[in-house]
Amino acid sequence: MPDFLRMGIVLMVVGLVATAILSTIESVTRDPIAEAKRQETLRMLKMVLPEGFDNEPVSDTVLLADKRLNSKEKPVIFYRGRKGSTDLGAAYVVTAPDGYSGDIEIMMSVLPAGTIHLVQIVAHKETPGLGDKIMPDKGDWLKKFTGKNSTNIRWGVKKDGGDFDQFAGATITPRAVVNAVKRGLDFFVEKKDLIFQPAKQEKKP
Amino acid sequence: MSENKTLQIIQDGLWSNNGIFVQMLGMCPTLAVTTSLENGFGMGLATTFVLIGSNAVISLIRKLIPSDVRIPAYIIVIAAFVTIIDLTMNAYVHDLHKVLGIFIPLIVVNCIILGRAEAYASKNSVGSSALDGISTGLGFTLALSILGATREILGAGTILGIPIAGSDFQPSLVFVLPPGAFIALGFILVGVRWINEKRENKA
Repeated sequence: MPDFLRMGIVLMVVGLVATAILSTIESVTRDPIAEAKRQETLRMLKMVLPEGFDNEPVSDTVLLADKRLNSKEKPVIFYRGRKGSTDLGAAYVVTAPDGYSGDIEIMMSVLPAGTIHLVQIVAHKETPGLGDKIMPDKGDWLKKFTGKNSTNIRWGVKKDGGDFDQFAGATITPRAVVNAVKRGLDFFVEKKDLIFQPAKQEKKP
Repeated sequence: MSENKTLQIIQDGLWSNNGIFVQMLGMCPTLAVTTSLENGFGMGLATTFVLIGSNAVISLIRKLIPSDVRIPAYIIVIAAFVTIIDLTMNAYVHDLHKVLGIFIPLIVVNCIILGRAEAYASKNSVGSSALDGISTGLGFTLALSILGATREILGAGTILGIPIAGSDFQPSLVFVLPPGAFIALGFILVGVRWINEKRENKA
């Protein structure tokens, strides 16, 4: 057998065996991965949504897109918490494009009356020790949002004439978060009916 | 495999020929993920698993692979093990997987792994190759844990997330940032060299 053929065959066999093993592993781990992701979302939602919902907020969702939620107008998942037929609140992720380094993803939950229940940071790349003082383990800056609606506080950091604190040496991060949450809240107030629309019933065959 | 040889393999991997402290390979994950002890340790264990698997399999097929195509064949084996651990970690230790993120797939290009495949597994029996994988991997884990713990203590004043320094300790941020990785590693290397020199002088 010529050398080049032997090399080709050896590489092909190695590749085939590897592919076969990987596809087995993939099919074994597919469900656990989906379940882990679902649990992760549920944990987050239990943290941010008002207590007492009895629906499955992970699957009770609606997709909406708007440039106030993120500048690229990517569809955002709105998770709805309900008790029976009463709407308790909705949680969704808004993206602040103007952080100090990269996007800041913020999960916020809003009560039907248009009052913020909780704000959490999902992902950020802000400077450790400066911008990341917004994180809940480094202070309770985020708690300032709870109970606020569009009119009972001046939106903006103090430097911009608002009521939210900035940090020494870090104004950009709090400003980006405050503005993103405000935009998210405005969207909520305007589109409340769309956000709480009943989930589409899946047609059963 | 004689007892002496076994001891030699273990000692080489853990210390005398440590992938980080001596060979200076695999610097990308070393410097990038070691912002805390937990991250360094997790990355070390993931790499150890890949090393054991790739070393054993490569040693097993070393006589079947023509030497001209050995590198692509090794890379396929290594990439397969990395994908296995990527999927498994995503499924069963989801939180750690989220923290290590992009660095898991990057284990494929960790020079230590291809280095051990080429320098050791392609020439030795399956047993010694697997043992070499374990000791090299644990040496890597040791190095990453030391670096991660150092950076966590100096940069955040915590260890495994638990505050250990008093409230008047001002953490030095630079150690959590990329430049701090180089500075901390530099001083650790000085320490390692110093210990080795002392031991040599005694002997």
